Amino acid sequence: MLGRYVARRVLAAIPVFLGVTIVTFLLMHLTAGNYVPGLALNPDLTAKDIARIRANLGLDRPLYVQYLTWLGGILHGDFGTSLIDGTSVLGDILGRLPNTLELTGTAIFMGALVAIPLGVVSARRRGGALDNFLTLVSTVGFAVPQFWLGLLLILIFSVQFEAWHLPWLPSSGAYSAFNGGGPLDRLQHLILPGAVLSFFYISQWSRFVRSSMVEVLSQDYIRTAWAKGMSERRVTYLHALRNSILSLVTLVGLEIPGLIGGGLVVEVVFGWPGIGLLAYQRALQYDYTVVMGTTTFAALLVIVGNLLADVLYAWLDPRIRYR
Amino acid sequence: MIGSSPEIELEEGLEGREFVRPPESYWRQSWVRLRENRLALAAGGVVLFLAVVAIAAPLIQIPIHYGPLQQDLTDNFAPPFKAPHWLGTDELGRDVLIRLVFGARVSLGIGFLTVLIATTVGTAVGLAAGYYGRWTDEVLMRIVDVFLAFPAIFLFIGMSILFRPGTLTLSLIIASVGWAGVARLVRSETLTLKTRDYMLATRSLGARDLRLMVRHLLPNVLPILIVSASLGVGQIILIAAALDFLGLGIQPPTPSWGSMLSNAQTYFYHSPWLVIFPGLMIFITVLATTLFGNAVRDAFDPRLR
Repeated sequence: MLGRYVARRVLAAIPVFLGVTIVTFLLMHLTAGNYVPGLALNPDLTAKDIARIRANLGLDRPLYVQYLTWLGGILHGDFGTSLIDGTSVLGDILGRLPNTLELTGTAIFMGALVAIPLGVVSARRRGGALDNFLTLVSTVGFAVPQFWLGLLLILIFSVQFEAWHLPWLPSSGAYSAFNGGGPLDRLQHLILPGAVLSFFYISQWSRFVRSSMVEVLSQDYIRTAWAKGMSERRVTYLHALRNSILSLVTLVGLEIPGLIGGGLVVEVVFGWPGIGLLAYQRALQYDYTVVMGTTTFAALLVIVGNLLADVLYAWLDPRIRYR
Repeated sequence: MIGSSPEIELEEGLEGREFVRPPESYWRQSWVRLRENRLALAAGGVVLFLAVVAIAAPLIQIPIHYGPLQQDLTDNFAPPFKAPHWLGTDELGRDVLIRLVFGARVSLGIGFLTVLIATTVGTAVGLAAGYYGRWTDEVLMRIVDVFLAFPAIFLFIGMSILFRPGTLTLSLIIASVGWAGVARLVRSETLTLKTRDYMLATRSLGARDLRLMVRHLLPNVLPILIVSASLGVGQIILIAAALDFLGLGIQPPTPSWGSMLSNAQTYFYHSPWLVIFPGLMIFITVLATTLFGNAVRDAFDPRLR
């Protein structure tokens, strides 16, 4: 039964993926058209040369042929080559992927790790001082711009700490240029951007865990557990938390796309060499094969993420019928 | 049901006794609930104040004596909390205070405009999909899925480079993704409303599709729209500020809080106020709109009744 359900979901995802590639392709075509970076700026090129370069790149062919060629490449794992440096787009993406995953993965992990206990505590002492305080913190987390928070942290922990002769934290990059790259060095670079991003997840998810816990705690089986004389600890953590984690699984699943795009602004602020920074820098240079590649790659992850979340949820929760 | 409370018929002999609460409309009840929420009133007050500041920006300029673009290279990087530049000046000697005042126009303008566009388009699509069902629903919802599948920031970057936005284009860019969420919301609401008896009754009286949608479905979807719109403004202001910060939104020299921040990045080692004040403005604005939005949700959302 689960197999058929998965098959149905996969089939439903295919038109969405095609739609994504069409929108991406058309958008980039409108943006860049037949533009090739640097071509118009080179005085040594005659009109004939330019036409030949365009033809070599396949830009003289009809639009649908260009699209189908590109799509065919993607289906074979070939995202084309960069217009700036001629490297493989997929290679660029995969080269940056570990950095991005290191940042967003840490943030999501830390987010869940902190948000779950906070949410549970809030739900148990609903309306208490701690609950109200956490509500305030999470509202702040919703309203504070990530890039501003990043700049403030740099201002305090990199600039001021250095001025005060305290051990300061690096403000940019994923590792030091000289003698860098060791685990401790990378960890130091990870602290500030990781903190900004996890604060965002903590403020979102702690609210979510709270409301889901409140709902679960009001259900009959919890009352039964109390009536059996179970300790508060057991009821909260063994019975209630297990069921409210279920909905968090979906939420984290929906955050899988955030693994790629969610950290873009933070990557730019901290010069973190991830996929977001790659897409941003190359977009400014009109390197549209790379922009198309990163966008499609990220969208693909969204679709797969949603699929995984659905399947995982159906598998964990027997109440879901496989339709 | 929304719009009317059930009249209780009085038994004979009990007439004249005042124990039935006079019927109150849904809107009045919601409004009273909102008014009782003091935090909401305070947050709403802040939003209103910012809106007045934004609208009256050219008037505020008069007592300050500086324009938002007026440079004074002999007085750049002036520190804050001193006359005549109460919030300091930037690298070109432009007054930070008046630039923040004019920045409010950009942020609030985009926030409200985007919500308006996204809500209008999303409602139309959601109503059509939910009402007509079948293949109309299938096609429209697959399109919605496509737009929701994009990590929005990548789309924004692509489109921003394409259009080099001003206020209107930036709103359109953000709304081009935002409508999809509204459409999904309105559709699911329409699906439940469609099966209600009053819809069948109205239809059997000969009402056409358009009339059913506009006169009978739309008013009942309205509460949810108000909730989603008031919660959306803050998030949109954040997105717009982030795009400005990335240099992909409102272009200099037009003052916007996001672009002031990205500008300040270069100088904030010696002039931290250039970073602190614009960010604070974004934070306060988004906080106030979010708190107000939460209160509106608590007061208006029929699902929370």
